[in-house]
Formats: sequence, C-alpha cells, structure tokens
Amino acid sequence: MDFEPRYTAEQEAFRTEVQEWMRENIPAGIEHPADSIDLTYEQYQLRRDLGRKLGEKGWLWPTAPEEYGGGGLTVDHSVVLEEEIDGYNLSLPPYYDSGGRLGGNSILVWGSEEQKQEFLPKIFKGEIRTWQLLTEPEAGSDLANAKTSARRDGDDYVINGQKVYVGSAHGSDYMWTITCTDPEGDRHHNLSWFMVPSDLPGISVFPMDLLSSAGESGAGSGVKNIVYFDNVRVPARNLIGGENEGWKVATTHLELEHGTGGKIGRNWIVDRIFDYCMTNNRRGEALSKDPDVRERLIDIYIDAEIGRLFQLRNYWMRHSGAHITYEGPQASYFRKQSGLRIATGILDILGPAALTKDSQWGAGEGHIEAHQRAAIIALHPGGTTDIQKVIMSRRIGIGRQQRERAGALA
Amino acid sequence: MDLSLTEEQEMLKAAVRRFVDTEYPKETLLELATTGQNAPSEPWSKLAATGWLGIVIPTEYGGEGGSFTDAGVLFEELGRGPVPGPHLSSAALGALTILEAGTEEQKRYLLPDVAAGRRTISLAITEADYQWDESDVQAIAATDGDGYRVSGTKVYVYDAAAATDLICAVRTENRQHVGLALIPADAPGVSIRKLEGFAWNLAEVRLDGVQIGQSAVLSGRAMPGSSPFSGGWLALEQAVATAIPLLCAYQVGGSQQVYEMSVEYSRTRIQFGTPIGRFQRVQDHIINLVNELDSARWTTYEALWKLDTEREAADSVHLAKTVSSAAYYNACNHAHEVHAGVGSTTEYGLTLHTTASRTLYQFLGDPKFHRRRLADALGL
Repeated sequence: MDFEPRYTAEQEAFRTEVQEWMRENIPAGIEHPADSIDLTYEQYQLRRDLGRKLGEKGWLWPTAPEEYGGGGLTVDHSVVLEEEIDGYNLSLPPYYDSGGRLGGNSILVWGSEEQKQEFLPKIFKGEIRTWQLLTEPEAGSDLANAKTSARRDGDDYVINGQKVYVGSAHGSDYMWTITCTDPEGDRHHNLSWFMVPSDLPGISVFPMDLLSSAGESGAGSGVKNIVYFDNVRVPARNLIGGENEGWKVATTHLELEHGTGGKIGRNWIVDRIFDYCMTNNRRGEALSKDPDVRERLIDIYIDAEIGRLFQLRNYWMRHSGAHITYEGPQASYFRKQSGLRIATGILDILGPAALTKDSQWGAGEGHIEAHQRAAIIALHPGGTTDIQKVIMSRRIGIGRQQRERAGALA
Repeated sequence: MDLSLTEEQEMLKAAVRRFVDTEYPKETLLELATTGQNAPSEPWSKLAATGWLGIVIPTEYGGEGGSFTDAGVLFEELGRGPVPGPHLSSAALGALTILEAGTEEQKRYLLPDVAAGRRTISLAITEADYQWDESDVQAIAATDGDGYRVSGTKVYVYDAAAATDLICAVRTENRQHVGLALIPADAPGVSIRKLEGFAWNLAEVRLDGVQIGQSAVLSGRAMPGSSPFSGGWLALEQAVATAIPLLCAYQVGGSQQVYEMSVEYSRTRIQFGTPIGRFQRVQDHIINLVNELDSARWTTYEALWKLDTEREAADSVHLAKTVSSAAYYNACNHAHEVHAGVGSTTEYGLTLHTTASRTLYQFLGDPKFHRRRLADALGL
C-alpha cells in the first residue's frame, strides 16, 4: 500500500513546476471568505481567470481525457495538483462548478461523440461554469418524482417548471438539469437530462434566503437560487443520454455527488480550531492545555482523520478503477455526520464566541460562525444522510441477495 | 498512491483464510475457548509449520522478513477466527521486543525458535495498578550473586497461560530503572493462574524469588556501566508501538467477520414474513458496523504503511489503537443487535468475538490512554 503519490524524480519536478506556476498565477485577494456568500463578483472573476489558465495547462481537470480537453494526467499528478492548490485554500476547480463536475462526467459516460466534443472541452478548459439543477418542491429525496417538463416540439424541447436550491452567486453559463419527458410514463422511465444554455429566454433566477448555503465542500456556492423555466426552447441536440433514459444518467451523476469522487485535502476548520486553541489563552494558559478542550480536540481530530481517509480511499478507487460499492455514500454520510459532531465540539470549546462573527467577540474571523451554521444545513444537499444510508444498504445487500450496483463512471 | 494489497499480500491473505477455515473451524474455536489454549496444540503445530510466526523476524534470525503490512494481512485474517494466541503475543510483540532490546547473541538464540513456534512469548507488563505506564511497574529484580531474583505480581497478562516464556517488566532494587527480563514460564517460583469469566486469555503471573542470570536481561540500549535494566523500558515502548498496528489489524479482522455474519443473517433471517435486513432499523445497525470497520481498517493500514516507510508514526499508531479498539467493541455490539437471541448462544460463534473485543479493548492501552498519547504526539 502507498498512501501518498510515489515521488519519483519526475514527480518532484512536476511538483516544483506546479508550485512555481501557482506562485506566479494565483493572485492575491482570491482567498476563501468566511462565508461564501461574501465572495465578491471580482473575486469570482479572479477565480474564473485562474480556472481558464489551469484549463489551458490541463490542470483544471487533471485526469479527464485529453481528447476532450482534460489533462490526461495520472492520479499521482492529480494528487500533487490537489495538494498544492489546497495550500492556497482552493480546490479544483477553484469555484463552484457542480454541473461541470457531475454533468461533465455524466456526458463522458452517456453523451454522444458529438455532445462530448461540444460540451466537454468547454468544461475541462474552464471556459464555462455550469450549475446542476435537480431538486424541485416535490422532488427532494425522491428525485425520480421530478415534474419539470420537457416537451418535444420540432427540433426543440420546451421546458417548463421550477428547480430549487440551485447553484451559486454570480450566475452560470449552462444548466445541467433533469426533466420529465413523459408525464404518463413509468417511474424511472420518463426522465431526460439537458445541458441548457443559461441565457435562453424564459429562464429566471431568484436567490433564496437560507441559514447557510455552504453545503458543498471546498469552493462554496455563495447563494442558492430558485430557477423558473417558462417555455424555454432548448435544441434537441442538448438532450444527453436519450429521451426517457434519464435515470441511468442520474445513477452516474448521483454516484459522484454521493461521495464516490473522493477528495484530497485538509479539513480547514479543523486546522483553524487547533490553531486557535494553541495560540489563544484562557486563564493564563493555552486553551489546548485545558483537559476538557484536549478531549474535544481529540474527538475532532479523530473524526477528521477518518473522514480524510475515507475521501482518500474513494479518490484512489475512483481514479484506479477499483470496484466501488457502498464507499461513496459512506464517505458522504460520514462527512456530514462528523461535520456536525465537529461543530458541536467547537461549540463546546469556544462557547458563544463560536456563534458570532463580531470582529471583537467572535472567534476565527467569522469562519467559526459560518461553520456552525453550515454544519447543520450541510446534512441535506446531495442526498440526506438518511438517503445515503438507504443507498449503502442496497449496495451492501443488507436483507437482499442481489446487491445494487454503483452508477457507471468514466 | 496505491491502496491495494500487492499480489503477494493477496496470496498470503487467501492462504491464511484457507488455513483458518480448515484448521480453526468454529467447533475448534469453541473448544479452545472452553477447554484449553491454542498452544501447544495440533493446529498450533500446523500454524508454526507455515512459517508465518516468523513474519516480522528478519531472515537472518530464521524469520520471513516480511513488512509490517504483510504482518497486518496475516493478523487480520487470524482475527477473523478469532484464532486465540499466543501468535500476536509471541510472533509480533515478543519478536519485536527481542529485536529491539536483545543483544545479537540473544536474537540468534531466541528468534529462530520464536519463528518456528517452538518458543512462545507473552509480555508480562501490567500489575495491580493497571496501566501501560512505566510508573506502574513494581515487580523487583534484586541483585543475587551473578544474577537476579525477581519478585512481584503481574496481572491481566495476555496469553500467559499459553506461553513458554515471559518477558517481564521489572524494576531495579533502587527503583530507578524499569527493564526487561526473559523468564521461562516453568521456572521455579513462577505460578500462572488463568483469570476466569468474561476475560479473554488473561492470567495472573506470580513471580516469587525467581532466579535469573545476566543473560536473561533484555537490556536494550543501556549505557555501558549503567544498570542493564536501564534501557529496557524504552526498547519495550518502541517495540510495542510497532506491534500495536498489528493488534489493530487483528481487531479489523474480527470486525470484518462479525460484519459479514451480520449481513448474511440480515438476508436469511425471516420475521414478519420478510428478511429482517429489509427493515431500516436493522440496516442502521449494519451501517454503523461497517463505518466502524472501515474507520479501523484505514487508520490501521495507514499506520502500517508509515512503519514500513519509516515515517514518523506515533500519531497514527495512537489513532489506530483508539479507533480499532472502539470499532471491534462496537462492531460486536451492533452485530448482537442484528442477531438478537441467536447471537447470544455460544454455539453461534458471535460471542467468541464479543469476548475477544472486550479484552483487546484494553490490551496495550485502551482508547482513553491512547487519546492522551495522541494529544501529546500532536503537540497539544
């Protein structure tokens, strides 16, 4: 076993190259704000610029196939890239791009050659930012109940309906969405996916007011929106995976969204609370010397380490083509539940200083306060913790001889 | 990065699993649990013949010179039984302690026999004030002519009743040093009494004026001119730190076994006209179980990898033991929830694990102990 990339001379040279490139190309002012809702339009543009530059080098989606604009690099190269950009508190891509990450991989599996040529280079080179649109008022955990309709009309489909908890601040170029193409059809056999240009007439976007919208780890989404489709005409060539074949496309999308993608990187909030406790005093002594605080810090550390190892395992499985069963939803379930436990531990340690972003009385420059809100809200996006357990059960084959298979990945 | 086992490790894993299935079927394990011990015994001779007991011992001392991860694979499979000791005590803890604390002569004399299973070792460290700290060692090695006379009471000693030799932690007369003495289990003055009940292969070891020579002292890196006992404890700690992930692997194996038992039972046990695994309440137990199992597995194998690659491993070792001890304990509890009454019958086999999980929870330090050490290792 090898828990790190093997640093051959070539690998070390690559790391040096990456470090130098990032030093030159990652501008100041790009930092992760405490609450992603505070990410300004200028900061977002800096991140998009960085994404395009990374895309040119094939470093934005390092392991994506070269023929479609990806980097075509090995897992070890990609780990180096992820580790190095993590040092800037950024991840790949350096902005919210759920539709690119999940839609891009779905197109890779289910799209026609023409569709791959059309959409993938734009995604993998960072030219477009794409939102995913799945949830509806009547389709939360039960995604197959999606009611947003897409009706064939000549060379187009006409889309009507409403999607909720969508995307981020500062707009998108494409919307990757699941619709119902046969209202009378059988469940799981009446759905279809579209890549919808965001500037089509009839699309309107309204921000939602939520306790927290930081459900997605890493880039942070800023804000969640309601998106209305009012007779939106989408060319039929933008339908991915075939009419009424949307559930099989969904299995790929959901497989990745449910944690199978894995992740390399530190847990920023854990670093922050450790640092805080070692550098702040209470009654004349570092907080980290208080026996109760130490207990909580060790609780937090153990949860963070297990979470890191689950993500690392999934990252490796995903990129090495290992046989995946329940590991995706397991990592998702653990990340969410442990995230809430970590928040509880931090609240125990800091008391009310964890709950305010007041510059004088709040701890951690607002990051701690934002995390307290995010930890409870993050249980639900991308499938509730209960849904993750349902999927795990099917994949393990609890109570059933036939084990459900994981969604197909490229 | 590669989180898979090597081809050789997969072969070892398959071979050990076949061996355990053949030589340690449930009936044998149940019999060993009630009537006696696993060494000397017929299956033990066969286990010794495989050479696996020399897995961590370098080839120059008659072992296989395997990596820590190789040994982890072995002990994980033995843990599935759970095959009772003294394999872990002797082939891991004993061998590693001798490697760390023994002179070249002692290694040449002792290790080939340990590798061959002819000599079996148990570590007698803990006493009435049960802890894994140096300060709790009160047994005394008093100077007596050319050698020493050892007296004291060791208690909760794992695998003592199955071992031919004991490595005892002893304090010098002036109370300044804690070192190690190798004492034959049948030496005059040694009496071993198994502790009955829910304890798993624990014993009391009384040392009543046991005479040993200079050659019985495992002195570690004692400075020339100072007491030969002055280097023992440090060597022991270093050896134990490398053996702990192997104990964790054993706990991983046990957790894996009760997980598979639980999944199988969830498919075949019918209540309310349906397999019980169709009920989400039952599913929850198994999901909790597999989360414990995988937490233990990956913290353990990362610690083994750090040992193999000579990285600083202290934090990972304490983390692995904290997690694996709780994981095996909780895995058994969840498995009992799935199996209900059936799991409580000894003939079913689950209680072998339940019993093992309790003793191993504490052996070489419980989670509370390792959490404290982890905090220190992290510089808190």
